Amino acid sequence: MAQCVQSVQELVQDSFVPMVAVLCSEEAERVTRKNNLNFAELLRPFCRLTSEGHIRDPSNQVQLVKNLRICVNNVVTSPNPACAAFSPAQRRLLNEVVSSCQPQEGAATNVITAGDYDLNFSDHCVKASVPWYSAWRQTLSEVSTSKHYTATTPWFEAYRENFLQTMAASEHEFLNHYLACLLVVSSTETVPVEQFLKLSQEQHRIQHSGDYTNPKWFIPNTLKYYVLLHDMGEGGEQRADAVYEDMKQRYGHQGCYLLKVNSRSSSAEDDEQMPDPWSQYLHRSNMQNQVSAALIVGLIVCGVLSPGSLHALSAEQPELKKGGRDPESLVGAAGSHGACLTLNDHDHIRQFIQEFTFRGLLPHIEKNIRQLNDQLVSRKGLSRSLFTATKKWFGGGKVPEKGVSEPKSTCGLLYPPEAPELQIRKMADLCFLVQHYELAYSCYHTAKKDFLSDQAMLYAAGALEMAAVSAFLQAGAPRPYPTHYMDTAIQTYRDDCGKSDLLCRIMDVFITVKQSSFVPTSFIPLYVQDSDLRSALLLEQAAHCFINMRNPMVRKFAFHMILAGHRFSKAGQRRHALRCYCQAMQVYKQRGWSLAEDHINFTIGRQSFTLSQPENAVTAFRQILTNDSRQTATQQGAFLREYLYVYKSVVGGNEDRLPQLPLPCIHSSATRVYFGHERRLAEGEKQAATHVSLDQEYDQDLAAMWGHLEEQLVAAANRGIVPASFQPTQCCLNSQTDNLRRPLAVAEEPIIVEVTFRNPLKVPLALSNLKLLWKFTAEGASPSEETAGEAITNEESLTEGTDTVVTTQIILEFLMGPEETKMARLQLLPRRTGQLSIVGVVYNLAAAPCAETQAVDFMLVRGRQDLKIQGPRLNQTKEDKMLVRHGLDRRLDPIITPPMPLMEVFFLQFPTALLCGEIRKAYVEFCNVSAVALCGLRVASTHPDFFTFGSQGTTPLTPVSPTSAENCSAYKTVTRPPGSVASEMLVSAGDFSQPSGVMDIPIDGGTLLPGESTQLPLWLRGPDHEGVHEINFLFYYQSTEKGTQISHRVLRHTVFICASRSLSVQASACRSSVPPHHRLDDGGGGTLVFVDVENINTSEGGVREFHIVQVSSSSQRWRLHRRINPASDRDCKLTSRERAKLCFRATRCRPPPGTHDFCYYSDGHVASEGIISSSTPCGDFFFRGCRSPESHRVGGTASRTSSSSRIQEGRAADISSIVKKCNELDLHIIVIWKAYVVEDNKQLILEGQLHVALQTLGKEVTSLTPKEEAQEMVLLKFKPEAPAPVAPPSAELSQLIKTNLHYPETHSHPFVQESLCVVPVTLTLSNCSSAPVDVLIDLRHKSPSPESVEVHGSFTWVGRTQYKLQLEPQQVLCVTLRACFLQAGVYNLNTPRVFAKPTQQAAVCETSQQAASPALIIINNA
Amino acid sequence: MAVCIAVIAKENYPLYIRSLPTQNELKFHYTVHTSLDVVEEKISAVGKSVGDQRELYLGLLYPTEDYKVYGYVTNSKVKFVIVVDSSNTSLRDNEIRSMFRKLHNSFTDVMCNPFHNPGDTIQSKTFDGIVSGMMVPPG
Repeated sequence: MAQCVQSVQELVQDSFVPMVAVLCSEEAERVTRKNNLNFAELLRPFCRLTSEGHIRDPSNQVQLVKNLRICVNNVVTSPNPACAAFSPAQRRLLNEVVSSCQPQEGAATNVITAGDYDLNFSDHCVKASVPWYSAWRQTLSEVSTSKHYTATTPWFEAYRENFLQTMAASEHEFLNHYLACLLVVSSTETVPVEQFLKLSQEQHRIQHSGDYTNPKWFIPNTLKYYVLLHDMGEGGEQRADAVYEDMKQRYGHQGCYLLKVNSRSSSAEDDEQMPDPWSQYLHRSNMQNQVSAALIVGLIVCGVLSPGSLHALSAEQPELKKGGRDPESLVGAAGSHGACLTLNDHDHIRQFIQEFTFRGLLPHIEKNIRQLNDQLVSRKGLSRSLFTATKKWFGGGKVPEKGVSEPKSTCGLLYPPEAPELQIRKMADLCFLVQHYELAYSCYHTAKKDFLSDQAMLYAAGALEMAAVSAFLQAGAPRPYPTHYMDTAIQTYRDDCGKSDLLCRIMDVFITVKQSSFVPTSFIPLYVQDSDLRSALLLEQAAHCFINMRNPMVRKFAFHMILAGHRFSKAGQRRHALRCYCQAMQVYKQRGWSLAEDHINFTIGRQSFTLSQPENAVTAFRQILTNDSRQTATQQGAFLREYLYVYKSVVGGNEDRLPQLPLPCIHSSATRVYFGHERRLAEGEKQAATHVSLDQEYDQDLAAMWGHLEEQLVAAANRGIVPASFQPTQCCLNSQTDNLRRPLAVAEEPIIVEVTFRNPLKVPLALSNLKLLWKFTAEGASPSEETAGEAITNEESLTEGTDTVVTTQIILEFLMGPEETKMARLQLLPRRTGQLSIVGVVYNLAAAPCAETQAVDFMLVRGRQDLKIQGPRLNQTKEDKMLVRHGLDRRLDPIITPPMPLMEVFFLQFPTALLCGEIRKAYVEFCNVSAVALCGLRVASTHPDFFTFGSQGTTPLTPVSPTSAENCSAYKTVTRPPGSVASEMLVSAGDFSQPSGVMDIPIDGGTLLPGESTQLPLWLRGPDHEGVHEINFLFYYQSTEKGTQISHRVLRHTVFICASRSLSVQASACRSSVPPHHRLDDGGGGTLVFVDVENINTSEGGVREFHIVQVSSSSQRWRLHRRINPASDRDCKLTSRERAKLCFRATRCRPPPGTHDFCYYSDGHVASEGIISSSTPCGDFFFRGCRSPESHRVGGTASRTSSSSRIQEGRAADISSIVKKCNELDLHIIVIWKAYVVEDNKQLILEGQLHVALQTLGKEVTSLTPKEEAQEMVLLKFKPEAPAPVAPPSAELSQLIKTNLHYPETHSHPFVQESLCVVPVTLTLSNCSSAPVDVLIDLRHKSPSPESVEVHGSFTWVGRTQYKLQLEPQQVLCVTLRACFLQAGVYNLNTPRVFAKPTQQAAVCETSQQAASPALIIINNA
Repeated sequence: MAVCIAVIAKENYPLYIRSLPTQNELKFHYTVHTSLDVVEEKISAVGKSVGDQRELYLGLLYPTEDYKVYGYVTNSKVKFVIVVDSSNTSLRDNEIRSMFRKLHNSFTDVMCNPFHNPGDTIQSKTFDGIVSGMMVPPG
């Protein structure tokens, strides 16, 4: 019944059926009990009539009665008046009905798509093409076009049915009043007739004594139908027949019946298959039994049931209860029903009902209708006129008729049972019951008018309701459905009478009709009702209405479902509540309504848990906790506790497969893996190499830099070739590193995994016993076959012996603050070779103990979380780009290789701050801490000029241990007599230069045995630029064994050196104006070198003064001579901001064979000591220093000339190259200084050296490179610029030749004797270039400025005034000129203009050789 | 004045919800969420007939026992919902309308912020201030 969907007509019909009471004698009861049924139950399956009946209406027309159902009930009396509210028993009944009716598991799902929502109903579903729908469509045009799907709710139907049945009969209507009474007596009774009489009296007493209000009777003279029940199993059929004959005589054959049942003995051995029509009604009958059980006390009082039957009933109770609880046992119990009945007996019963209805009931109704009709017709005229007259008389005032005891309130208006208005109503009800809807409608209509005029609102509402219903049921109705009737009725019930149950009845009907637009609005107030169950059901139905509207209102649906769920849970209907919440969840899920979502999830969790579906509960709670919840901290704390509790109960005792925990969140991709020991950075005075640690952030550029260094090292180790399989060593793996291949880890060296936990909650969490989960496959097993190597895992928490494979470190306690992100470093120590894969973490989760709650300690659950690392998204092929594909990430799957050497590097006396150019000696210690020997020690650095280990041949004999070397100078010195000639030394550059930035570390024997350590001196030189410098070292070493999986290992070290300013050296060279033949040495042209040294140290307390100790030079072609300064400032001291100028002469020397050899000259400054600048620290740093800028220059310049200007440029380049060559000066100056520093009242002497490379003459070079200005933004040009006109490089050309004027400084001339004074002047021209040069000398005064004309006006050149000469390379030529003076005075002779040009060139670019300085001559008048 | 003000994105997820009595936050969330059905209904009803020019203010969406819910939809289908206490009879339609207008202006300002990512929840102090100004002063 519950599963099928009735049409509305059927439903309404079945809701209002003729009621028949049953009074049973004790004996008869006993007979039916054999079948485990009482009499009413026995009849129930057969109460629907299969054949049609007929009835004649008052106008004598035959009316067809189809498909009639009657309702047979035991008389249950109750003395208390029926109230609107339900009795507790009734409630319980309804509750049980609803809870026993649940949606089927695994039924076909019904998906409703509304907008962008897909709602899934796993309920039994029916399309709207059911018959009643099309019928209904005719009446309701507004819903005609929509396509409706409906999710049926069988529990609601069950509820409705039961509700209508158990609804208390009310005063104002008669539909569920008893029309007839069956008096049942067994044939085994000694005197059945007497028994009949007794029952008849009993019935009379119940109806008329007024003691009982509850069973209400329709008509005063209720139809009594006498039934003689004969038990065939007990025999005595003749006697029964005889009694029946007697009864026929007495009551007429239409008023009695002989029912023969139990024709089968109950102990029938053959168990033939019997249909069990009762099972369908079973749970209901059981419930009703329980109701009656609840009323047992009342029954005893009434004496209807004798104590014996009471006993039988109560004995049955437990079983029934059990049957009511679980549906399974129901089936088993069903077999016992009707055990003594054969199919024949079934037919008998059916026949009996038919007989009773057609012979007894229908004629009885017909008779009564007729009677009532007659009464009304006869009374109508009189009463009508009378009423209207009175009304007129009293001026239309309200006159409550016959109102004796009525209260003022209109809804309390009561008619006495015999009132004529009620007679109409009674008749209408009768007509309605026998399906004569037309007549019923007109009667209701009349009654309604009467009631309304009397202001009897309750009655009127009842009439209205029924009028509407009968109009609805009238097939092919001539009038439209009177919606307003129903509206008014609802209104009245609601507002005036408070008859909620009646209202509910209407609603039930209407919700079934799904007149959707109508229901929700007018019934909202009903939702808040006394009965939780009812309002829950109604809310649910309303929700379904919303979803079934033409524009489905999904959110309203969801909201009402939640309300329904809430009410269900209040009513104790947990299953239904859960279902409601789950359905509502579909709407709220993942749409950003987190607060609502959390609430629903929480409720679902709780309900699921109480319904012992803990898995679902855990899932729901997990949702709350993992979502980014916006709840308050206390709320979250509650959620967490609840979750832990539920979780604990789910997990219970089984620990073998740990479940996943949702908290705290693991940020898998941020997992970092570190291979190796954690390092101590400092150990006493020793400073360990920084290497890599987990504390460092990953930097792409740095990684590239290290990679580059390592590549250099590997290349150096493999004779310059980088092997194809080269892969930079990665000690620390994270999301940015290349994790495509399995990393290599070394046995007996720890693997540290840093897992990032995030606590999303606002409450603290406490993790404990945190450790890594891993899987290990021993070596020898190929990775592809899982079967070959048995994987060992530490998953089973108590498995012994895993420590021999991999030792797992456990973090005992790990607290996480609210919303904290915290890293846990978990360590593994692999002990065997093989393949390890780190699977996840396992830990105990608990809410962090607060101060006030100590009781949460037991809320401790153990679970795991997997580390699933997704590789980077692939973006190579087209498929990769179209799909979202991720690469491999194997950082958690290391391969354990056999032990490798492990080196540690310590630095001693390593400074942190240096002056620019300062030389400091430090020591480095290499330690082999592993059990394997290492070799091939090398180092590469980003700043190769920063340090040196000393060159092989020239290493000074300095003490190897740092302690004894405290006050030694870093330099190698020789004692030299003061003022001695500058020493000079030829040094091969090959001693110092290294092919690349890689340096071999000169350790003894080249290998370090296990446990051995060695110390080496190390010289450092402060960087040339001030500021903080990051200097990276990469140490390389490899195992002495060959063919290891890891070819080499590296160790990183990063230092930060703070360089502060020391001295600035500016050097320039210019051609000495002294002609070469004045010189002692061979020709080539002397050059003056000026060295400006300035103390630019800015630190106040630190450096007191600088001493320039020595200036050395290094060049292939030049040598530096002793300085030509005045002797007074022999030792050049510079205090703060002081400046000194030193001057040297350099001469050209022939380059010795072997082009790469360098000459060294040194010039002693200090009396006692001279520093051998060619030996270790000085020479090393010099070579390192001068190499790097050159290499920079090569890389830096790039010609950007367009082809159009090539030719011109080529020519210009030709000249300039000649000129350049002429001016070339490849001279390096090394300034060695000492600084006196006061530090902590102690005087320290620091040493250092600065380098300056003089490339060309005349150009000033400084040791401090000018601050690099930010490169200006270059305008983007779209067309090539017009080539700039090539100007002859005049400045450079002017350097081609050197001119000197030689003349007597003073000349006395007796101007009196001779007015003309002619002085010979020699002009010396020397060609500096290596190309022949044409020279043009012009002596004419052609000074552009008038001022010079004035000055020189007084003397003239005489003789030849223009010379054209050619000078061979390096040639010196003298030209004698004559100057003529007219009077005494001082003259500037430097007026000859000399033009020079390379011979090969056309006369394009002659340039004046301007002699800038004046050449003064004093002419005296003698 | 209002007891709850909400801004809902075109895709019907909340961009901003603020309600006065914080303990009832859940209830207001439910109320606002449910009101979206009515908003949708109203939009679909109006959209067909009028065409381009649509009244942004939707008026009273539905009354509950304690509250009145008003709606407003921008042209980009962003919904504003204001929940007002039913007992507050002094509020007229016009005032609600002006509240919505103010809200809309402020919302536009938020959207104009180049650092605001459209579709993110609104975290603007100015907007907060405007909303607070429209809420019942506590106490």
